[in-house]
Parts: sequence; structure tokens; C-alpha cells
Amino acid sequence: MGTLPLSRRRFLAGSGAALAAAARPGAAAAQGRRGEIIAGLSERMLTLDPANHYSISSTSVLRHVYDPLVDVTNDDRFVPALAETWRPLNNTTWRFTLRRGVSFHDGTPFTADSVVFTLKRVRDNTKLIKSFVYQDIEDVQKDGDHAVTVTTKRPFGSLPAHLTMLGMLPPSAGANDEAFFQKPIGTGPFRFGSWTHGDHIDLVASPKYWKPGIPRVEKLTFRFIPELSTRVSALRAGEIHVIDRVWPDMVQTLKGTAGVKVLDTPALEAQRWHFQLARDPVKDLRVRKAISLAIDRNVIIKDLLLGYARPVVCPVPPGLLGHTNLGQKPYDPEKARQLLKQAGASNLSLDFVLMKDLYPKQLEIAQAVAAMLGEVGVKVNIRNLEIATAREQRTAGNYDLFFSGWAQMPHDPDWYFGQWFTKTGAEKLTRFSDPRVEQLIADGRVPDPKVRQQKYEEIDRLLWEEEPEIWPYYTVAIYAISDKLRNFEARRDYYVLLHEVGIA
Amino acid sequence: MPGDPAKMLLPEGAPQSAVDELNRHLGLREPLWIQYGLFLRSVARGDFGQSFQYRSPALRVVVERLPATIQLAATAMLLTVLFGVSIGVVAAVRQGTAYDYAGTVLAVLGQSLPNFWLGIMLILLFGVTLRWLPTSGFQGWTYLVLPSVTLAAFPTALVARLTRSSLLEILGQEYIRTGRAKGLAEPVVVLRHALKNATIPLLTVIGLQIGTLLGGAVITESIFAWPGMGKLVVDAIFFRDFPVVQTILILSATIFVVINLLVDVLYTILDPRIRYG
Repeated sequence: MGTLPLSRRRFLAGSGAALAAAARPGAAAAQGRRGEIIAGLSERMLTLDPANHYSISSTSVLRHVYDPLVDVTNDDRFVPALAETWRPLNNTTWRFTLRRGVSFHDGTPFTADSVVFTLKRVRDNTKLIKSFVYQDIEDVQKDGDHAVTVTTKRPFGSLPAHLTMLGMLPPSAGANDEAFFQKPIGTGPFRFGSWTHGDHIDLVASPKYWKPGIPRVEKLTFRFIPELSTRVSALRAGEIHVIDRVWPDMVQTLKGTAGVKVLDTPALEAQRWHFQLARDPVKDLRVRKAISLAIDRNVIIKDLLLGYARPVVCPVPPGLLGHTNLGQKPYDPEKARQLLKQAGASNLSLDFVLMKDLYPKQLEIAQAVAAMLGEVGVKVNIRNLEIATAREQRTAGNYDLFFSGWAQMPHDPDWYFGQWFTKTGAEKLTRFSDPRVEQLIADGRVPDPKVRQQKYEEIDRLLWEEEPEIWPYYTVAIYAISDKLRNFEARRDYYVLLHEVGIA
Repeated sequence: MPGDPAKMLLPEGAPQSAVDELNRHLGLREPLWIQYGLFLRSVARGDFGQSFQYRSPALRVVVERLPATIQLAATAMLLTVLFGVSIGVVAAVRQGTAYDYAGTVLAVLGQSLPNFWLGIMLILLFGVTLRWLPTSGFQGWTYLVLPSVTLAAFPTALVARLTRSSLLEILGQEYIRTGRAKGLAEPVVVLRHALKNATIPLLTVIGLQIGTLLGGAVITESIFAWPGMGKLVVDAIFFRDFPVVQTILILSATIFVVINLLVDVLYTILDPRIRYG
């Protein structure tokens, strides 16, 4: 068949539509928006209040409904969201300039009042889960409708990072909290549709999102499927388009399924098994060094995690502020034996506490570690306890080594350092206390990233030498998606973000 | 009970001051006897407290899960009675034949296959390979098939075996021979005269199974991502969400008592010789 002759009527109709589309830029974007994406998340959502959780799944879902002031890219750069620019005026003052022309889903404009309301709410309502992070805020002042100044009681360099996790609310939310969060509104790319508790949440595209061409689909559904094998089945059956938290041993099955792609990326998470530093025998640095030397991290990474992990070269994962390459910890059982002999430690027996079913392959890994330590004459009692019980044992100090990981939320190491390596923070956890580290952490809270980097590198070196924790590996985040998805990014922070994702 | 609710709610390694503050809000810093007194007082008023995890009334959190729980339990019960009794009757009537052996094998499988294995296999076969049924979730009747079959496997086997043995016992009795002697049709003998008498022990077991199905579908609910009460209570226990745990306990205790009462009442209907009081 040759080319069809173009009738005059059809030509006019076509050019007319093109003209109309050109005249209304929003319409062209809306035409490009089609289809529905269904995501299967590992964790059930508990609340629609962005200030009242620290759940990764909830953060993922709610990021589509609410915008934060600051966004963070997958290579850990902080980029404008509702704030166009931000800068420190001094060590305890931040100034944010806000985006103009943004409105909430009900049409109310987004202004400085929203920011003042959201920040004061999270600080003052101490029932909110995120409240403790914002206690350092002294005051929030608006400067006209499109600028806000935040003063803090002490330097708060990580404030922009924390704000990536805090969705902005309209001031009207304050009138009746409970009613508002039954059917919440934000400025995000999707509006809240409905939520069947424990099962799924439906979101629909917001027709006038401030970022042109976004979102790219009409409807977005998050289903909550905690069981990994079920998540995998639902994806393989074509019912859903993306799943998070895939374990290494599922990868082969998924790769063998037509229409499914597996994506992975080094996560912002370091496994860190901490010592009870006030307890014999691990309060002795030589014993800790010996334990570290006796663990063959490569066996764990290659054989148990099938290569889906990375060797650790610094307590802070690569890419993040505060990372520096200190080289891998060596494996040297002979030297470990010598150190143990020097320390006069014989017939050592350690309690290795695990929080049941929390981390992929944790029990197998702990058993491998027990065998490795057995080689140098250290007996390991693995105590696989239910999460709340394990944590209580830790508070009481009844452990030698505690299996745990730390995802560097919110893309800033201040929380990790401040919590685990200050005297007050670690008091009921690891009993860590070192005035040098404490001072460096305080100095590292300033806004200047250069100063922070330098202080954090010093902390890294001290910790690397003191070995208050074993850093066995950096986790790799694994996702599986339908090959119909376009533009999906496997996030290092475990978020499943779909506003820029389309579907074929 | 070990564990601190505020610590489970806050991210790992939140400062102690935040933990204390949250526990104060949750009312957990009062002495235990005051907490218990306050709890009793509010329950008497129908207030089961606020869920720690969901930050909304515990009763609402639990009641939201009731439809899913009841649908699943009712369907599984229906399957149990339908298939359990049929298999049992066939096996008893055709004692010693291939039907009997097939029934026994099915019953042994049903009782010995672990729920999670059966569930995953059903998902793989009917959801992934054949794509006849959805793998998981709660959105319509097709979603009900696989979980209810998984859940019904064990009680069906139980009921089948029990029906077989108690029916066999009855079929050996004098009055059955009398019935046959006076020329009653075999179906009438079996279904009307024998089965009715064999139902008494069956009813007890079924009554107990209903209670178990309502409260104990944890594994099935997890595998099929079913938003029911079983998974809710386990999560609530792990996260030390006391108001939700208490609400579910009170609710399931009530359901148990009501079902037992109904079973007792049914006895008197089925067997007028049974009287109470």
C-alpha cells in the first residue's frame, strides 16, 4: 500500500488539534499521560501523615501525594522541590526561597504559611514520630509569601537533608488533624484516591502538577505484599509492575521470567554489628580487632549473598557526605589468634544477638561467622530473638555483638554519628563514649559541607581504628520490574518513586 | 511482656528523651495498676484506646479488618463442610474400596501439607503458570479462591476423617440394620438416619474450627497478602501495639463464646435427647 492521499478535511482536523495543543501546554502533557502502574511494596503503610512515621514504604507512597521542600537524587545531590533555593545565613539560620505558582490539590496556593505550619507542627506536637528530629528548631519565620527563615538552637547542617522526608501540608490541616488525614491533600503529582487498610492505596494523577509532563500515568496503586515469594509471584503473573526488597536468592528465578527485569544498586546501607563496649571481653580493643580479623567478609558477600553486597571501606557508604576510602578490613585468622593470646583471652564465648527475620540471610550469615570465629577459638552463641526482645536485651546490655544495619537516612550521616557515637545517644545501646568523636560530631553539625566532610573523615578514621562495630558489607538494593515500565530508577534509599515513570 | 512500644515505633536509635516522651503520650509511664484501671474504665465505655502503630482508634483498626477475615473464614468453612462431609460419607459407605483409600490419602495430605507450602504451590500453579486466578490481594471473589482452599485444607481433612469414623460406627448399629431390613432406600439410611447421628461429634469439631479459622489464619493471610485480623494481631504483638492486641483478644473471646453457645444450642436441635439445665 502506498501513502494515502491526505484529505483536506483530515489535514485541517489534524493541524487544528496541533494548534490547540500548542496553545495549551498542559493539554499536551495530559495527552502523554496514560495507563496505570501498580507497585508491590514489602511493608504495610500505617499512616497518611508524613510527619508521623519513619517507614520507607510510607515515605515512598506519601512522596507522591506531598512534596517536600528539598528532593534528593539517586546520586545523593539535594535538588529543589518546593524550595527553589536554600542557604545558611549563619551556622544556626537557614533561609529557603519557595517556588511560586504551586497549589495544593484543592486549589489553595502553597505559600510560606504552609512551611511555617508544617515545621512548627512537627516540632510542637511531640506525639509525632518525627518530632524528635526537629526539636532543635528555635523559630520559623516567613519573609513575605515566598521565603522562610529557620533559626535553630544549635547548628543544624542536616536540616535540608531531613526536609527531604517531610511533606508540606496546607495550614488548614491544623484545624482537624484526624479529618484531614482521612482524605489528605498535598502539592504532589498524585492526589489521594482511597486506602484499603492492609491491602492497597490508590492515587490519581493531579492534573496541574507544577513540574511539566509529570506524572506520566493516570493512576498509581501501591499494594502491600509483605511476603517476598508472593510479591515475586504477583510480578511474574503480570499483576504488578514493580517490587522492592528482592533477596539475592530470588534473582535467578526472576531473571528467568519473560517480561521481568531485575535492577540492583549499592544501597545507602551499611551492615554494622555493634559491640557492647562496656562488657568484657569485647571492651578490650585487641579482642575486637581479633574478631574483625577472623571474619572473612568475602565469603559472606560471595557465597551467602551471591555477590549482592559490597566490601566496606568506610563506616559511611560511598557517595554520601562523610565518605572516604580507608581500604578493606583484612582477613587474617593467624593474627587474630595472636591478638587473642596477647589479650589473655582464652575460651571466649560471645552472645551474638539477632533481631529475628529482619535482614536477608541474617541467620546463615551469623552461623558462618560463628564457624569463622570458632576457627580462632571463640565460641559464638547465636541468640535469634524477636525484635522487641532483642532491643530490650540491648538496652539492658546483655549482648556482646548485635546484628544490625543502618540505612543512612536522610542521606546524611549526622543521625548515625549523633545516635551511635555520642555518650547520651549510645548510653543504652552500645555504651560508646569518646570525647574526641563527640567533639567532632558537634563540629560537624555546621551547614558548611567542606567543614562537615573534613570532620566526618576524622571520625571515620577514629572509628576504623577503634572498631566499636564490625562493618561486614554494604547492602545492595534489588528491585524487579515489568519490562513495560519506562524510566524506572532503582533507588539507593529503597524508595519506590514513580512520578517520572511511564508505562508502555 | 518484654519490649518497649515507643522504641518499636521510633526509628532504631532515636534518643531516649524521645522514647520517654512518646511513652508518656501513650500513657505507659503510669504504674501498671493505674493503666489497668484506666483500660477497664474505657473498655466499659466502649473505648478500646488508640492504636500505637496506626494512630487511630484500635476498634476501628480491628473492625476494618473484619470483612476480609469473615469472608475468608466463612468460605473456608463452607468448603470444609461441603468437601469434608462428602469425602467422609463416600469413604464410609464405600469402605475398603478405591474411593475410601483415595479419601484417606487426600485427608492425610490435607493434614500434613504445611499451609505456607500449599499456598505458595497454588499461587505458582494457578497464579503464575496458568494465570487463572490472582496471586494475592483482596479485591473480589476470584481473590478468595486460593486462600480459602489453602485455609480449608486442614479442617477439610479433619472433618473428612471424623465423618468417616463416626459414620462407620453408626452404620454398624442395630437400628441401621433395622432400617435396611424394613426396606428403606440406602441413601435414606445413610443420609437421614446415620449421618444425622454422626453429626454430633462433628459439630463440636466444626465449632472449634470456626474459632480457629477466624483467629488463626496468620500464615494464609501472610502468603496471600490478605488484609485480615490474623496478620494484624501478629504484627500488633511484634510491635507491642497493646490496644490492638487487647481489642482483638476481647473480640475473638466473644466470638468463641458465641460460637460455642450456638453449637450447644444446635446439639439440642439435632438430638432432642440432649437437654440442659
